[in-house]
Amino acid sequence: MTQARKTMVAALCATMSVGAFVATAGAAQAKQLTIAMITHAQPGDTFWDIIRKGAAAAAAKDDVKLIYLSAPEGPKEAQLIQNVIDQHVDGIALTLAFPDAEAPTVKAAQAAGIPIVGFNAGVDQWKAMGLLGYAGQDETVAGKAVGEQLNKDGAKNVICLDQQQGAVQLEARCNGIKATFKGKMEVLYATGYDMPTVKARTQAKLQQDPTIDYVVTLGAPFAPVVLDAIGAAGSKAKVGTFDMSPVAVDLIAKGKLQWAIDQQPFVEGYEAVDMIWLNKTNGDTVGGGQPVLTGPFFVNKDNAAAVAKYAKAGTR
Amino acid sequence: MASNGEPIVRLRGVGKSYANISALRGVDLAVREGEVTCILGDNGAGKSTLISIIAGLHPHDAGEYLVDGVPRRFSSPREALDLGIAAVYQTLALVPLLPVWRNFFLGSEIVKGRGPLRRLDREKMWAETRDELHRMGIDLENLEQPVGTLSGGQRQVVAIARAIHFGARVLILDEPTAALGVAQSGLVLRYVSQAARSQGIGVIFITHNPHHAYLVGDHFIVLSRGEVALDSPRSDLTLESLMFQMAGGKGLSALEHELQGGRDAQRA
Amino acid sequence: MTTAVETARRRQALPQSVWKKVLKRPEAGALGGAVLVFAFFWIIAPPFRQLAAFTTVLYQASTIGIPAVAIALLMIGGEFDLSAGVAVTSISLAASIFATHAVGGLWAGTIFSLFFALALGAVNGWLLIKTKLPSFLVTLGSFLMLQGLNIAITKLITGNVATEDISGMAGFGALKSIFAATFQFGRVQVSIAILYWLALAAIATWILLRTKTGNWIVAVGGQGDSARAVGVPVARVKVGLFMAVGFGCWFLAMHQLYAYNTVQSGAGIGSELLYIAASVVGGCLLTGGYGSAVGSALGAFIFGMTTEGVIYADWDADWFQFFVGAMLLLATVVNTWIRARASKGK
Repeated sequence: MTQARKTMVAALCATMSVGAFVATAGAAQAKQLTIAMITHAQPGDTFWDIIRKGAAAAAAKDDVKLIYLSAPEGPKEAQLIQNVIDQHVDGIALTLAFPDAEAPTVKAAQAAGIPIVGFNAGVDQWKAMGLLGYAGQDETVAGKAVGEQLNKDGAKNVICLDQQQGAVQLEARCNGIKATFKGKMEVLYATGYDMPTVKARTQAKLQQDPTIDYVVTLGAPFAPVVLDAIGAAGSKAKVGTFDMSPVAVDLIAKGKLQWAIDQQPFVEGYEAVDMIWLNKTNGDTVGGGQPVLTGPFFVNKDNAAAVAKYAKAGTR
Repeated sequence: MASNGEPIVRLRGVGKSYANISALRGVDLAVREGEVTCILGDNGAGKSTLISIIAGLHPHDAGEYLVDGVPRRFSSPREALDLGIAAVYQTLALVPLLPVWRNFFLGSEIVKGRGPLRRLDREKMWAETRDELHRMGIDLENLEQPVGTLSGGQRQVVAIARAIHFGARVLILDEPTAALGVAQSGLVLRYVSQAARSQGIGVIFITHNPHHAYLVGDHFIVLSRGEVALDSPRSDLTLESLMFQMAGGKGLSALEHELQGGRDAQRA
Repeated sequence: MTTAVETARRRQALPQSVWKKVLKRPEAGALGGAVLVFAFFWIIAPPFRQLAAFTTVLYQASTIGIPAVAIALLMIGGEFDLSAGVAVTSISLAASIFATHAVGGLWAGTIFSLFFALALGAVNGWLLIKTKLPSFLVTLGSFLMLQGLNIAITKLITGNVATEDISGMAGFGALKSIFAATFQFGRVQVSIAILYWLALAAIATWILLRTKTGNWIVAVGGQGDSARAVGVPVARVKVGLFMAVGFGCWFLAMHQLYAYNTVQSGAGIGSELLYIAASVVGGCLLTGGYGSAVGSALGAFIFGMTTEGVIYADWDADWFQFFVGAMLLLATVVNTWIRARASKGK
């Protein structure tokens, strides 16, 4: 029943946005398009900065004006969506990190005839909410890939270091690992970028259970800190990480870090903006109802040199 | 006690206005060594304005203020303090959570040692505090106890003793017994009297309790609506006449009459 | 009033037992709480009993404790600083960016950041005095402004939101050995941050109990008007206290910079509450005028033991924050209980 209704709403919205497109197509040619990007990013986070750079690159190439806004909480993100609806933007690219909180304003945007593309978070929700397309990594798929990698590396007892307790996409990563990994896996929580805490907690965990032989960090900035903690605890555990950073690439090249699993955030930001532009200017539906997957891509010792240059420039 | 010689502090026709409101007009006052001058008055009579002029909080804008015969106009309490005129306010200038001896020397700490090793001379400050309080008849069990744990009267006495210790010749006491019970008031009054008589301090005692004033005062001034309503030495005054003046003089008689009349009317 | 009986009683009471003296100190409760939490984890978590675990706990405690020592002094002086957590990030960003983009030297960056840190404190204090607003509001404002500046300026200058790795620059080795050295005792690693923390707590205690400045700090926090009336320069004391917080933040900032090489510009949010919590658990009154620097160290130690203890005890990670909160509450209740008993039995 609900499913049927959702589909109906989605279909309705799709029709409406097409209608809106037809109505405004003539005008759109003349003036520069404005596209809003709304994310649940914590300010000052490298990963999100790369997404933003990707979006800016697409906006420059497509000659559209980009509005970038972010808020790390559901209600605030919804408020930002309302804000750009009121600005009459031509398209919205957003992360569905808090689908339930965002749903009403997403509907309002669709009612206003604004095409919406999802990216980064919400791989399971975007279709039901009637979004035009989705660019990103399926975090569960990425987690599963990591689980396989850990099996291949011969790990037996693994820690999944989660820097933000309660964040859906981070939990999906850990759960994905659990699904395919054959050994024992435990989650350890830290508190954001408070590095001494990350170090102390990892160190404590390694002292508590000396059989731990692998640590997976869910963000690249934590990988060097964990390596530090391993040294301090006198442990022999290996480390792999989600996402990338110049330091991480460097550590991989040196053989200290085993691998980094890259969802290519630059591509996410780029694709999200580009998908809206293609739709507005050419009526395209990129992905044809399927998510456009930007990862997972494993960076390891063999290919680290190739991506190092881009990582240093802050685009990978 | 009779007056002896030139007054330390003398006011002649002193007045003060805030904006257009005249808070004080034509006040004459002389404070001599070893003499207690009581200033009485209702709320808003101008007592606080008078204290703030003498203590240097606000300068006067009419009349003359002489210290040791020299005209003065203070712009800060520090200047008054340097001439030996110290005020002890109701809030006492004591810090409740600080130990007694630290309070006693607050702002005038004794230090020893040099450079980064300059530190408090605890032994010396302890001893001086103990001696000074002892001389005033206060014998505390433990000088480390926070001032807040002392009784109200003891706290007043500590504050007064401190002002004297740091060179006060004229002490302005702002309602020192207002919040105290009978026994505690007695302690403070005995101490005020002792400070004046045996140490030759000139005391300006502000109160609205004529009983307390009459116990220690040598000279009495009653303020009413910013003016001097009564100015009299002890010899010309009885407690009854002081109370009558204090309670509002003729105004009170009229009020008494009115209320009495009202009661009669009710009864009828 | 003097009576013979009372005098006799005083003489008897004079040689106070050491135990009674300890109980009367503001940090007595925190000491009790720390012993309790330590004993608790010692019993239930075998890995907690290793020496290595103890140094891990101390390390975590030191990274809260270094700024908390200064925050404790500030709170005794009657003020708050909500900007301290973010200021740590600002200061390490200042050092790193100045070194990499302005002068090309880490020593210069480090010294620049010290002045920057002291200036931050001075501005907070100056704003407090000039606006006469509560410090809660003033520092909330500077907290938010710094949060924005951290990201905006980092991005403006470096083009990224994290600073570059400075570990290859000249002087890194020497500075690392000053601020972030580790000593190996067998299999146990001890960070120099722990030593700095203990030293700062000792110096702050000495200032508080043995110097004129310390006397003024307590007086200013206890009753500012009274202090002013007896000639204590209240404004100068307060500005000085904020600058001391700046110094504490600078120390931690330098440790973090040289221990972790890069700085994320979004870091530090939320730490200010830990510093304040450590001070309060350690016996500082929220209203000012009472507290101790040693207490803040004990508060940080309790926090370190709790967060690490939960891991050593291998409790379910989902419940982590709950356990931390519950243990802190328990430690604080014990703390208050001991203090209440101490003040009653004088």
